[in-house]
Amino acid sequence: MLEFSDVSRRYDVAGGAVVALDNVSAAFPPGSLTTVVGRSGCGKTTLLRLAAGLTEPSGGNVQRTAERIGVVFQDARLMPWLDVAANVAFGLRGRLPPAEIDARVAAMLALVGLERFHAAYPAQLSGGMAQRVAIARALVIEPDLMLLDEPFAALDAFTRRVLQGELIALWQRRRPTVLLVTHDVEEAVLMGETIIEMEAGRLVGRHAIALPFPRDPTDPAVVGHRRAVLDRLIAGPRFPVAASGVKS
Amino acid sequence: MRLSRTLSFAAVFAALIAVWWGAGRAGWTNAYLLPSPAAVIAALADLGRSGVLGHHVAVSLGRVLAGFALSVALALPLAVVMTASRTARAVIDPPLELLRQIPPLALIPLLMLWLGIGEAQKLGIIVLASFFPVFLGVRSGIERVDNRLLEVGKVMRLDRAEMLTRIVLPSALPSLVVGLRISLGYSWRALVGAELVASSAGLGYMIVDAENLARTDIVLAGILVIGAIGLLSDLLLKLAVQRCAPWLGDQLETAHA
Repeated sequence: MLEFSDVSRRYDVAGGAVVALDNVSAAFPPGSLTTVVGRSGCGKTTLLRLAAGLTEPSGGNVQRTAERIGVVFQDARLMPWLDVAANVAFGLRGRLPPAEIDARVAAMLALVGLERFHAAYPAQLSGGMAQRVAIARALVIEPDLMLLDEPFAALDAFTRRVLQGELIALWQRRRPTVLLVTHDVEEAVLMGETIIEMEAGRLVGRHAIALPFPRDPTDPAVVGHRRAVLDRLIAGPRFPVAASGVKS
Repeated sequence: MRLSRTLSFAAVFAALIAVWWGAGRAGWTNAYLLPSPAAVIAALADLGRSGVLGHHVAVSLGRVLAGFALSVALALPLAVVMTASRTARAVIDPPLELLRQIPPLALIPLLMLWLGIGEAQKLGIIVLASFFPVFLGVRSGIERVDNRLLEVGKVMRLDRAEMLTRIVLPSALPSLVVGLRISLGYSWRALVGAELVASSAGLGYMIVDAENLARTDIVLAGILVIGAIGLLSDLLLKLAVQRCAPWLGDQLETAHA
């Protein structure tokens, strides 16, 4: 369970206060898959950082009951001194028997297509490969809360589609609570059970996408949702939706 | 790449020796003040055969290694404590900063009074000279740890000890290696200073003794041996680091003292 109650976050920038998140209330029930979409600077990443406990709210509170949290950042953030396998195993070391860690890491590397690179160092990987390692590192701990900040932005279209599919399959299998932030409206529609739209630090729309997974980007229903979200975002500022409207 | 670098390294030294040899042959240099390469090689061969050189090298090497190890053993934990504790910084930083400004050789008279003229005094000088590069290297490495990596540790719920051993210290390794290489060079410089003053063995002593006997060939031989061992120890340290931390790669090259 992840719940935001009247959460605000202000930053001091050059002597002035910038409001990144403005009185946000939202509940993300266990097992839900929510995508958050909005323009750059609308507060998406701040929302995710608050959910991960990496930023403290200036007002209100964030409640989370997750045991294991898997976070994928915009950048890979791999440990340069560890090889690929050790980076994937980073969150498991000391918490599971080595044989089990090895088995889980091998399975995860196969999933992201990097078995042959298990002994490579991050400096030897391309940006997309590094991001795949970061995704594997987050998934391997079998999180009950997954927070993903533009996780596929650095990937080529083909790998992106494969990993989007794998993430959906994993979610269907294990049902972690997933919060995925993206500025790609198509990705938000393809992956979200629910889409939350953000503008200027506020949640301004919440829409359920009642289409079965996996979704096809050329499916007229997907295209229709995508157009509707885009139209709303392009139309500009709206009043924030009431807190009760955001809750699922 | 490595071969061409080795070749150009050797070519520079060959050219220097050729100039040295040529200047002697042409009568531009005084054979007493600057003996020819042949005379220095002959002196080296004599010293080597008699076992004198081996003895002095072993004594000096033992002192450098002991002093260097002691420096690292002191500098590492102190740097960790000082980056972790504001109180430790407030108390220890001012005297350390003062000490850092004083050349170790200026402390030789005081160290002789406190520690005598035995091994402790020589170790003291080496430690004073080699402590700061390691200490400052680790500190700057810890202070510059990438906050984005710490956030990864935080979401993985690492505790303080795990953060230190699994993220902070490995992050500081490049700076530590730079500090180690500079420190090793400083150890050699300080050692000779220590052995010049009050000693009965070691390469510094060998040089002073030869100077008193007007044996410039042995003085030069001693100087060259110190340089060669310094280069060799730096190379060995570099190889050891390359083997233990292959991910460091080119960062080692920024470590020239």
